[in-house]
Amino acid sequence: MTSSQTHTLEHRKSQTAPRRLSDGQFAVLLLLPGVALLAGVVLYPLVAALVTAFFEQSLVLPGRTFVGLQNIVDVLQGDFLRLLRQTLVFTLGTTILPFVIGFALALALNTRIRGAKVLRGLMLIPWLVPGVVVSFLWMWIFNANYGVMNALLQGLGLVDDPQAWLAQPGTAMGAVILAKTWQSFPWMMVMLLAGLQTVPIELHEAAEMDGAGTVRRFFAITLPHLKGIVGLVLLLEFIWNFQHFDIIYVLTGGGPAGATQTFATAVYETAFQGYDLGKAGALGLLWMVLLMALVVVYVRFSEKGEER
Amino acid sequence: MSATTQLPAAPTPPSASSPADDAPRPPQRLRRGALRSERPGVRFAAWATVVVCGGFGLLPVYWLLATSLTPRDQVFSYPPKFFPSAPTLDAFAALASNDQLFGYLRNSVIVSVITAVLSVLVSAYMGYSFSKFRYRGRRSLMYLVLASQMFPQALLLVTLYSVFSAYGLLNTYTALVLSFTTFTLPLCVWMLKGFFDTIPDELIEAARVDGASRLRIIHSIVLPLAAPGLIAAGLFAFVRGWNDFVFALTLAGPEKQTLPPGLVNTFIGEASTAWPELMAASLVVSLPVAIAFIALQKYLVGGLTAGAVKG
Amino acid sequence: MSLTLPQSALSRRRVLQLLGIGAGTAALAACAPSAPSSTGAAASAAAAGGAKTDFAFSSWSFTEEAAAPALEAIVKAYQDQAGVTVDDVSFPYNEYINQLTLQVKGGQFTGAAHVDVAWLGSLAAMGKLQDLSALTEGRGYTDAALTAAQFDGVQYGLPWTIGAIGLVANSEILQKADIDPDAFPTTVDAFEKALKDLKGLGGGLIPYAASTKAAQLKDILIWMETFGSPLVDGDTVTIGDDASVEAVTWYKSLYDQKLIAADVDRFDARSLFAQGRAAIYDDAPVGRNAVQEESPDKDLGSKLVPLSRPVLKDGETPRALVWGGAIAVVDGEGAETAADFAQFATSDLDTVLADYEVRGLPPVTTEAQQSDVVAADTFGSLFNDRITATSTSNPFWKFTAYSQIETVVAEQVQAVLVGKTDAKAAMQKAGEAAQKLVG
Repeated sequence: MTSSQTHTLEHRKSQTAPRRLSDGQFAVLLLLPGVALLAGVVLYPLVAALVTAFFEQSLVLPGRTFVGLQNIVDVLQGDFLRLLRQTLVFTLGTTILPFVIGFALALALNTRIRGAKVLRGLMLIPWLVPGVVVSFLWMWIFNANYGVMNALLQGLGLVDDPQAWLAQPGTAMGAVILAKTWQSFPWMMVMLLAGLQTVPIELHEAAEMDGAGTVRRFFAITLPHLKGIVGLVLLLEFIWNFQHFDIIYVLTGGGPAGATQTFATAVYETAFQGYDLGKAGALGLLWMVLLMALVVVYVRFSEKGEER
Repeated sequence: MSATTQLPAAPTPPSASSPADDAPRPPQRLRRGALRSERPGVRFAAWATVVVCGGFGLLPVYWLLATSLTPRDQVFSYPPKFFPSAPTLDAFAALASNDQLFGYLRNSVIVSVITAVLSVLVSAYMGYSFSKFRYRGRRSLMYLVLASQMFPQALLLVTLYSVFSAYGLLNTYTALVLSFTTFTLPLCVWMLKGFFDTIPDELIEAARVDGASRLRIIHSIVLPLAAPGLIAAGLFAFVRGWNDFVFALTLAGPEKQTLPPGLVNTFIGEASTAWPELMAASLVVSLPVAIAFIALQKYLVGGLTAGAVKG
Repeated sequence: MSLTLPQSALSRRRVLQLLGIGAGTAALAACAPSAPSSTGAAASAAAAGGAKTDFAFSSWSFTEEAAAPALEAIVKAYQDQAGVTVDDVSFPYNEYINQLTLQVKGGQFTGAAHVDVAWLGSLAAMGKLQDLSALTEGRGYTDAALTAAQFDGVQYGLPWTIGAIGLVANSEILQKADIDPDAFPTTVDAFEKALKDLKGLGGGLIPYAASTKAAQLKDILIWMETFGSPLVDGDTVTIGDDASVEAVTWYKSLYDQKLIAADVDRFDARSLFAQGRAAIYDDAPVGRNAVQEESPDKDLGSKLVPLSRPVLKDGETPRALVWGGAIAVVDGEGAETAADFAQFATSDLDTVLADYEVRGLPPVTTEAQQSDVVAADTFGSLFNDRITATSTSNPFWKFTAYSQIETVVAEQVQAVLVGKTDAKAAMQKAGEAAQKLVG
């Protein structure tokens, strides 16, 4: 596609269009419904919420007082760095682990092994179980006193005593990541499976004739072909997980001793348990500044050599 | 489905509009590889992966099922029985008499389906605009759409609540559908944009030469061609509405409540959690969706095939 | 920020229009500052009489299998009597107060609301709860019950089911360890010894399924009080004093000796207790039904025995935390009838006794408490004598941020339990954080 083509098209007389919009105007018109939604549901509430960062404002008490940067200073002096670290651990963990499992399964199910089709279907179940149930299911599995995880590991002789997976700072984050992984790996699998099916068979056949082994062909043919989709799923997962809330909230509520607290749960807790909208806004503001920086870096990298 | 089978070939010609196409072609084809005996090795690896990763995926599902079959007074015994010794369908029987649950299910289906349809429409227009037109700020806007998902949703919730309240939209499907649709835009727009990229411009040009209006081209040529992609995008949007807890709880109010808050409301009480019933209900409501998805699987994968690859 | 909206594509005017739509709502939105008369004051005082209108009644129990029939019966009885329709509203228990707060704040909810007495303070802060004191006269509410449903001296709720949280034991297991449930240790030291004896029974028995998950670690507060910390003195948080540190140190020692177990919240404690895997746990009367229902032992009900919490030195008064439900009335449409309903639901003798049959929760009028049904309930009366009688409110409830105060304390206690920090430093930190929240 080149832009010159569409522009030349525009000058041709169209029979049915009564009003003549330029291509540019038409393109903008197409964007409008989406932009309106984004503005109303995300942009406006966001700005309104971020403004509270500069106020002392309660969820329940009426009125608010301007306090300048006080909230931001408070948040930065609190355990901001710990929150950041934990958020990143959670986000990276829940992006990489489902990717690895999803990719492995996609590769395995893209072969002609028996039952691949049925398995592809079955693997979707974790993704379709209502989200809260995922949390409760894993809470049930990980429970220190009657969970099946302990029974299984004890049966296999891997642990001596039942472990409180969700209540030990050392294991809680891992447990939460595992639960989230379970929920999102099917999505990764589907996306990557779709990608795999676009890799031209001829390339593989040609390479095979030239004596390239499976591993070599994977790196030389499959992976480069999947570059686009791998980038997209990783980026989306990163973004989603960065603000993921449900599973952490239900499984640990950010505990034990704050070991699984992320920005998302901290914002919710500050706003809804502490009724402190100002501090919640400040947390949100810092979070956005951080993410924006990340996105700008990403865009700069990915736009290298691209037309704008 | 004929479109799916044809389209996958499209990405290969180097049309240079996406980074994926800049990928180097396999460079070292002439080198001799060491691995010659692939078939058994590949099969073994595939099976090993399926057993390990599939086990991870399916064992919890099994446990969900096993728990739903366990009598209430035995679910807390330790060590738990991997195979329920006295399986009972009590939990399932209790569901049949629970009208509220079907109300939640109905709400969930309505909200998720409308979200899926609306999301596909809005994303298709947006994606088409991004794909087939060139204007300043296009890429920035594309990334802005993506970035809109990065914001703390818990924070949005407080303001959204007041906005919807001001418009009298609280406790309506509308509030949920609008929110969920917005949250699905990034994925759907990017997916469909990729899909539209693979539709040859010549096709659109030919239609215009024949005098079709731009809207008509979208509706009667591009969208039908993109049908598999639209279905795939719709399925993803459906799941977003299907899975949400906090927004559904807060914006929908008690009457329009969807399944996730509904399940919690019903089975997780002040004094106790009805594990077998909760698990049974989860299974029952997930099953139709799972079957629908399995039936539509070819679209899910096929529809993505042409589009998403290019990101 | 390079991601600004492209001006050429979306004209500035259009963008501004879009934002304008949003800005218009801002004025109406509840987050814009709008000030009712004065903070924390009752919206208006309720009075009886007048024509009856339809109203809404919210409770988390409407969808709960065990409790719902009781509520439905009350609502039906009132509908028949008053000739109005009651619209029932329900949210999951764990999310209830957040949702109710949003709804009340946004003006979405008016009418009668089932509340935990702990929430009265933060709800009252919104200035929309009615003062119900006029409705309490001549209905026979006990003073203790009325006090429990007050905040800042104002009757923001009519007490409904007022009890306390105390120790509940399985007498069969106690007897196996030669502990007489009717002569249970009265001091903390003797209590610890009893726990060790129970541990000695083996079989993985958890002597005391105390809360160790953050969600319910606020149970530690009552032990701090037992050890002599007032928690709050005026507006000064005293957590971090010697008594609170001792209490946490002791709790940690129980944890290390495995006399209490990890990863336990109220639900877990009930399940463990129901399975006979725990001998003692903390609970309010509301837990009784749940425990019986989850137990394979159909006689468990008769083995339940409430125990006075041990004290530091013999002769001191055992501590217990007030627990209970009240009905508050949110000012607005239907509020008047809602107040009448609140009075009916909490003090009409037949209604209350029928409710007791189903939910088994302690009634709040003298008449009901002395009725045969209630008096014949051994567990209920023992609970009343041994636990509720000396119960006091949580001093943090008077602060709107009480829930977060409890959270910060719980987090620090948890840090001690898992060995991340020592009791002294943690309690000092908890005290400082709580003080900040008090303001």
